[in-house]
Amino acid sequence: MAEQYITLISSLPYLPPFEKAERSPITRLKLEQRLHILKPDDARQLVIAEALVSWRMSLSKPKTDQEMLLRCCAALQDISHPALREFVEFRLDQQTILAALRLRQHVFESSFLEQVNGASRWARVIASNWDSPDFKLAAVYPWIPQARTYIEANDAGALDRLMMGIIWQQLSRIADSNRFGFEAVFAFVLKWDILQAWLARDAGKAKSRFQELIKEVQNDS
Amino acid sequence: MEPLILGLGWLGLYAPLGLAAIGSSVGCMRAGSAACGALLEVESGYGRFIGVAALPSSITIYGIVVTMSLRRELTLENSPGIFGLGVLTGLALLYCAIAQGDACTASINASKSKQEVFGISIAPAALIEGFAVFAFVFALVLAADIPK
Repeated sequence: MAEQYITLISSLPYLPPFEKAERSPITRLKLEQRLHILKPDDARQLVIAEALVSWRMSLSKPKTDQEMLLRCCAALQDISHPALREFVEFRLDQQTILAALRLRQHVFESSFLEQVNGASRWARVIASNWDSPDFKLAAVYPWIPQARTYIEANDAGALDRLMMGIIWQQLSRIADSNRFGFEAVFAFVLKWDILQAWLARDAGKAKSRFQELIKEVQNDS
Repeated sequence: MEPLILGLGWLGLYAPLGLAAIGSSVGCMRAGSAACGALLEVESGYGRFIGVAALPSSITIYGIVVTMSLRRELTLENSPGIFGLGVLTGLALLYCAIAQGDACTASINASKSKQEVFGISIAPAALIEGFAVFAFVFALVLAADIPK
């Protein structure tokens, strides 16, 4: 138990469940001020992980899958903390499964495997069970059938809520494993990010952002 | 052999105080770190966090009293008894102080966000204090049976 992390954890406010929160309990500026207590190596790893798997990382998302894969591989090499690495891998697995569910109707398994190979340990399993509704992974990831239903129904809001809930639970479990250690700190930061994303939901802004992205894609092609 | 037995006697004589002081230091350091963090988050009630952080220090007092009660001229007859009683009491106090520090840390962390749980959140720390008191009282009782 590192004493500076006891101070850090105690200086952070209670984070309510994201669905019940009415406002953010701490601003980004204040959070970053508190995070100055982190050991330099832990701080560096947190920044890398945040850029890769935080909920709002999509704002700086690479344009191609290859770029994303390169970024993932480089980041994983730099993350040595076991719990943080495990969480990053958990998120990459989750993203890979979601990508597979979305792409299944449009591409062949070989094309999918080519796109995501190396991003997740499940890529080959998914490709070899391409025609199975849940890629035979529902026993490992019980959320897959529900996510598939939302994707098929084009219900992005419900899918986001489901994914946020799963990540939130995973982060809570990680934080409980070491309540006054780095695990609790990075779990707080990533949960705070989900909370911010949840509070920032705005149909109007989402629509204009979507239109911006469409224009961006059209200009690129 | 004699110097070894007498040496163990001296070890047992000082163990309650030495080990309790180590435990209290660690306990207070952890609880104090939590209190400092909580001070950044709350707007009032600073004193009670610092008060809770000081709880593990009481265990050193038990160590002082046990060491004083064991104090006598060391002989080959009483040294083994003093060693056994002193070391085991010291270890019990050491662990109680560290555990109490952790309980106080958790209490401070919980009550900073929900002030109404402050009283009840100290209960685990108070229970641990009870275990330290058991170790302390029975050390005093048994110390009376060690030959002078």
